[in-house]
Amino acid sequence: MKSNVRRWFATLSGLLVVWILAACASTPTTAPAGEPAATETTTNGAVTLRVGWPGSPDTLNPGTGVLTEAYTVYNLVYDTLYRLQFDGTFSLDAAESVETSADGKTWTFKIRQGMQFHDGQPLTAKDVAFSLNLYKTHEDFPFLNFYTVYFESIEAPDDNTVVLTLTEAIPSLESQLLALYILPEHIWSYYAEGNATTEFENAEMIGSGPFILKEYEQNAFVHLVANKEHTRTPPKIDELIFQTFGNEDALVQALVTGQVDMITEMPNTAVPVLRRTDNVEVVSGPPLSPSVRDIIINQLAPENCPPDDGKCTGHPALLDRNVRLALAHATDKQNIIDVAMLGLAQSGLTLVASGQAYWYNDTLQDYAFDIAQANQILDDAGYLDRDGDGIREMPDGSRPLLFRLQWPTDIPEAPRIAEILGQTWAQIGVKTEPQAQDPDALTAVCCPAFDFDILIWGWSWGPDPNDPLGVMRTDQIPTGSSETGYASSEFDALYDQQAIELDRAKRRDLVFQMQELVFTDVVYIIPYYQDLVQAYRTDRFTGWITDAPTLALEDPSVLTTVEPVR
Amino acid sequence: MNQYILRKLGWALLTVAFVVVLNFFLFRILPGDPARAVKDPRLTQQSIEALQRRFGLDRPLHVQFFFYVGNLLRGELGTSFHQQRPVTTILAESLMNTLLLIGAGTVFSILIGIALGVLAAWKSQTVVDYGILIGSLVAWAAPTFWFGIILLFWGSSHLGLPIGGKLTIGANYAGWWERWLDIGRHMFLPTLTYTIIYAGQYTLFMRSAVLEIFSEDYILTAKAKGLRSMQIVRDHALRNAMLPTVTVVALNLGFTVAGAIEIETVFSWPGLGQAIIDAVDRQDYPVLQGAFLLLAISVICANLIADLLYSYLDPRVRVG
Repeated sequence: MKSNVRRWFATLSGLLVVWILAACASTPTTAPAGEPAATETTTNGAVTLRVGWPGSPDTLNPGTGVLTEAYTVYNLVYDTLYRLQFDGTFSLDAAESVETSADGKTWTFKIRQGMQFHDGQPLTAKDVAFSLNLYKTHEDFPFLNFYTVYFESIEAPDDNTVVLTLTEAIPSLESQLLALYILPEHIWSYYAEGNATTEFENAEMIGSGPFILKEYEQNAFVHLVANKEHTRTPPKIDELIFQTFGNEDALVQALVTGQVDMITEMPNTAVPVLRRTDNVEVVSGPPLSPSVRDIIINQLAPENCPPDDGKCTGHPALLDRNVRLALAHATDKQNIIDVAMLGLAQSGLTLVASGQAYWYNDTLQDYAFDIAQANQILDDAGYLDRDGDGIREMPDGSRPLLFRLQWPTDIPEAPRIAEILGQTWAQIGVKTEPQAQDPDALTAVCCPAFDFDILIWGWSWGPDPNDPLGVMRTDQIPTGSSETGYASSEFDALYDQQAIELDRAKRRDLVFQMQELVFTDVVYIIPYYQDLVQAYRTDRFTGWITDAPTLALEDPSVLTTVEPVR
Repeated sequence: MNQYILRKLGWALLTVAFVVVLNFFLFRILPGDPARAVKDPRLTQQSIEALQRRFGLDRPLHVQFFFYVGNLLRGELGTSFHQQRPVTTILAESLMNTLLLIGAGTVFSILIGIALGVLAAWKSQTVVDYGILIGSLVAWAAPTFWFGIILLFWGSSHLGLPIGGKLTIGANYAGWWERWLDIGRHMFLPTLTYTIIYAGQYTLFMRSAVLEIFSEDYILTAKAKGLRSMQIVRDHALRNAMLPTVTVVALNLGFTVAGAIEIETVFSWPGLGQAIIDAVDRQDYPVLQGAFLLLAISVICANLIADLLYSYLDPRVRVG
């Protein structure tokens, strides 16, 4: 017995020593920082680009996907009728031409010939019509069903033609079709009905895009190989691997040590270090999907309180534009950008972000950071500090200007923003009660409950201004989409007008008017539009697109153009 | 003896039943709604309602509960709301990875902990003892994620070890041994982190237990008989000193299934900890219920094993 124990002990100790030696003695697969590395290849000689990212697709089924990483993979594996360009315009992709009827309701697409799915089956107009109909009929598709709201019918009279009829003419059809991926009917028709569609894992993920799925492991990696037969954009690399890293420090270290060739995200604090690292290039700019940080002010009028879900406990002072305006004047956006974002953001105006270039109203003059002016506005409006405790009271003296200030725990910079807001707002006699909340808990107090005063949160949009403007409509108050409770019949009328205005320039005028209206009403305070910061190794691949108006190195347009350094 | 085991088993089963009920209601009293787990203007009211129907959340709570228990009795844990895959598959995949990591870490930390603990006690009040004591205290007190990050930076920069994952993705292996060598390289840093932290704890427990035993009369008797120090430690002190260490090891074993969350996050190890964090983020009730049930059962089993081991190591426990 005793000698057995000794033997076990000795064996295991020996194993530990062997393991240490083996692990450390094995040749590292990658070069350390500063040393030029040969292009990463697998043992079969394929040119493999490795991308590190902090997430992982939640599912390979495009109908049920929610996370950004999932959509990145869908964009690489599937084709769509249109592609979004980095300058915000759309280009035809799987369709070679389109004709629109005079009333704008009927769109006839001619599908490119010679396209085929990754399993060798031809891609025809029938597949396109099948896919669009599938998205239209499934309300339980969390996102993609939304894009088919205006679709009345989709038909494929022959193998090359798709006729899409709308319930009303809309100006943003291209942006609606961007994420409606073309699925192979010969596979998905078996899963087209009921729960079968949403329960379909789509493990093979047969598409027709520039990359083919080879292997996928949840929370670990996505391994794609190039579709060299792709008719428009055959990739120049052979394989593409997305590797998931559980924390951003590891992600940065993976790039520094050359274990990955590109990273899609990083903490802003890592930027100075990476800028000093040899063979690493850091790029920043507005993301392809604009990202807005907003300060949400609960201005829900009591008569608009949602009857079923509303608690409507917002501070009454916030209904007064003067108070909101004073808060805007007392918000030091540049300091927030410098301190909380380390300078990697653009000062904001309204929910429509600067990244939505054509639709962004840059003629608006932002409220100056001016504590004296903010104090004057509150003085004039009758909000005085009657008891001398440093906090102003309502004009009738009923309540102090004490606001709950909450934010979700998944925004790392939010505590710093809250701290800066607390400091500058205190200078105008406004006190805040800061509190971080779990995102779900915050959703529960936010909307449609309106059980808050002020929140720090954010949005990420598509290219069309419908989304940012839509959340401010009065009819969105009970649905939970409206966060502020803002109600303006003038705004609603303009929204309806722009939603069906087919003339792009005229629509832009309407969109500009709407931005001016909500800016003047101080519906939100927008501290900044977040820049995307990405980095890649310069000693491995070349051809990265970094000079476009928006940035997304993981976009198909980049990943099909990069090539190894020779 | 049988009665003792039966009593312990009965309590264990009762606890599992309690956990099953608690598991269901615990997640549902939290604020929020899995169908609204994302804030996105594309998620319309109709879509939210359709999702609630799909997830079965539109049914009354007691009906959901009976479905849950019914499925459980058939051995089904349901389908993940967000991954559209059976929960058993998700948990099995990640549990295997976690067990691989924890298994190696536990074995090495026990070996090192016991050896260092005995050595420190044997060389009590010497430089060796003080060195081991301070080292163990530092290892035990160090925050896991901080320690992991330090090792990650050191190991990847100086030893060229992989930073994350279980395997080199896309690699072609000549044979199974090459594959396992690759897994070993990926496991090295996380296992080292785990080993150092837990070895520190076991060393301290083992040291104090052995020191206590050294003050017993029978040790004095053994010395008086002229036995060599090594013999006294091996034959008289070690087994008696194992009792408190077995308790800690067994309790840790139960919790380590979940306790590897930080290490898995730092080293991007696709284990149960990662799966739980994801499920919490997305309010994926079926995965959460399954994972917590698994954790509860593992803790209960570990306790049961500790109880049974106790009765083997110290027969007085059976009588008591």
